[in-house]
Amino acid sequence: MKVAINALQTPSGAAAGAKGAAMKHTPPLRERWRGSRNLLPALLFLGLFFFAPLIGLLLRGVLEPVPGLGNYEQLFANSAYARVLFNTFSVAGLVTLISVLLGFPLAWAITLVPRGWGRWLLNIVLLSMWTSLLARTYSWLVLLQASGVINKALMALGIVDAPLEMVHNLTGVVIGMSYIMIPFIVLPLQATMQAIDPMVLQAGSICGASPWNNFFKVFLPLCRSGLFSGALMVFVMSLGYYVTPALLGGAQNMMLPEFIVQQVQSFLNWGLASAAAALLIAITLVLFYFYLKLQPESPVGNSNAR
Amino acid sequence: MSAVLNDGQQARTLVSLRNLNKHYGDFAAVDDISLDIQDGEFLTFLGSSGSGKSTTLSMLAGFETPSSGEILVNGASLVNVPPHKRDIGMVFQRYSLFPHLSVRDNIAFPLAIRKRSAAERDKQVDAMLKLVQLDSFAHRRPAQLSGGQQQRVAIARALVYEPRILLMDEPLGALDKKLREDLQDELRQLHRRLGITIVYVTHDQEEAMRLSQRIAIFSHGKIVGLGTGYDLYQNPPNAFVASFLGNSNFLRVKAHGNGAASFEGQPVAMRLTPGLAEGQEVLLMVRPEKALALSVEQAAREALPAGWNEVTARVGEVLFLGESQTCSVVTAGGTAMTVKALSAAGMPMQPGDTVKVRWAVADACVYTQWAESDLNKAAGAH
Repeated sequence: MKVAINALQTPSGAAAGAKGAAMKHTPPLRERWRGSRNLLPALLFLGLFFFAPLIGLLLRGVLEPVPGLGNYEQLFANSAYARVLFNTFSVAGLVTLISVLLGFPLAWAITLVPRGWGRWLLNIVLLSMWTSLLARTYSWLVLLQASGVINKALMALGIVDAPLEMVHNLTGVVIGMSYIMIPFIVLPLQATMQAIDPMVLQAGSICGASPWNNFFKVFLPLCRSGLFSGALMVFVMSLGYYVTPALLGGAQNMMLPEFIVQQVQSFLNWGLASAAAALLIAITLVLFYFYLKLQPESPVGNSNAR
Repeated sequence: MSAVLNDGQQARTLVSLRNLNKHYGDFAAVDDISLDIQDGEFLTFLGSSGSGKSTTLSMLAGFETPSSGEILVNGASLVNVPPHKRDIGMVFQRYSLFPHLSVRDNIAFPLAIRKRSAAERDKQVDAMLKLVQLDSFAHRRPAQLSGGQQQRVAIARALVYEPRILLMDEPLGALDKKLREDLQDELRQLHRRLGITIVYVTHDQEEAMRLSQRIAIFSHGKIVGLGTGYDLYQNPPNAFVASFLGNSNFLRVKAHGNGAASFEGQPVAMRLTPGLAEGQEVLLMVRPEKALALSVEQAAREALPAGWNEVTARVGEVLFLGESQTCSVVTAGGTAMTVKALSAAGMPMQPGDTVKVRWAVADACVYTQWAESDLNKAAGAH
């Protein structure tokens, strides 16, 4: 923002430029909003195509079928609906946990292996991300179903007698979504790890830190920013994910996005669906607020900026 | 020349490297090095990049495993001890501070790892902060400090747990000249005050001279010279060290008996060197500041003192360098020499003049074996 303001000032002469530099820290309000008129077309577009529908949605939640907070009351009071909320949060939490646990070693491996190999591994991760979501979800369906490869193998090995129910329930949803979310944790985490100076870890060990201590006291804290942003991204995406839960999940244990679709398509209950959607937006905003609050300036980024 | 002279230092060996080797495939980064490091001494590994000095230091720290050979500290082998159990302090070239910790926490890190009590930790960190004069920066992050300050934090972090040995890998390389000289002085005083053993790696010979009691000169994975800066400069053990340290003039002479030789047909005297064959090629090395250049008239006025040599040459160039002046001359046989004198002494030559170059027999080192590449100043660098 400041850069843009300075850029706008440059044509008005060197004196004005110097003045701008001097005021960089606390520009008066009028100065700060100078040139904001240029934003008008973008704002208009955003207002028309983003804010207006969003407000319409939020209004439906409190206006239909009767004005009031009835929809929200229903959402929390009805035990079946509360169950949907609980499912959504526990699945999103579990998916985040699993993808962190699996993604961390993967990101670390990509960072540690020789350069060429690392790029290949990263390409594989990207490739899986770019493959059609539907194809990937259906392939899990094939793998996990009662007559699928995994169950057949388990039974052939004598580990289980009857096929495990791994699909059309929350287990299937967690497995499928963890798989889909891993790239979203690997990419930011790998970028953070790549930026860590390996000499800092050598310094840690010569200072007396055992490999274990070095990991927890030096490496992990330095990974924190990548871990934070990756985990938040996965959690927020998981809260609103529809396709995978719809295909791999069951009818009785729904997640919030499925619930919204059901309310709109089957019951034409736009009010309740809007309230649920609004709830999702609110949760995301709250999480984002905490993210901004807790996320310190990246220590790694700082050391690299020098 | 050495900044710190041996003042009644006990000669107890703390670290011993025995036939140490490090191979990367066919390449010998460190080639059969044996070295004793005395307790409390300031030893510098000096060499150009790729000479094996940093690899040797890495093996001391434990980041590299020797291909063969032994590292002994107080007689106990260190080869299979992981870095975190070696009780060695190290200062890295690019500081390598923990970016997520404040200055205070950086310095306290080794103590926290060792589970010292909070009171003791605070006391020692405060003492260290005072020692490196960073009391007022204790709560800053490393990124908020200048390079020199960061390096002082790194030194404090390496010293706070009182290691037996402090390793320093070109710690001042990234700093500008003025700051580097200040920190060199601080470091020398610190070493005097603490009496710790320091192994210092640098490619800067002036820094090595300024800081260390002994210097080990590395070339192609071997130690080619070991001694005080004074000895290595005044009496280089071989032609490589002579050309690597400071400037040098090399004269090819033919030996005639024990103390006599001929240089381009003129007779010259040289130090008594046993085991010379008649007519053998020998190399004389004279430091530019040990040689004198006299004009023909001056030479006629001042008779050649006993024990001095004189050759005739033609002046190529006279350079004024502030406190000193150099004069490049070429002899009739095409040997280039440089003569250096303090500006105060004056050098009234002009290019093209004929001059007499004189040097004392005792000041010229004699080498019977050398490689052509040793004589080239750039040879040390890859």
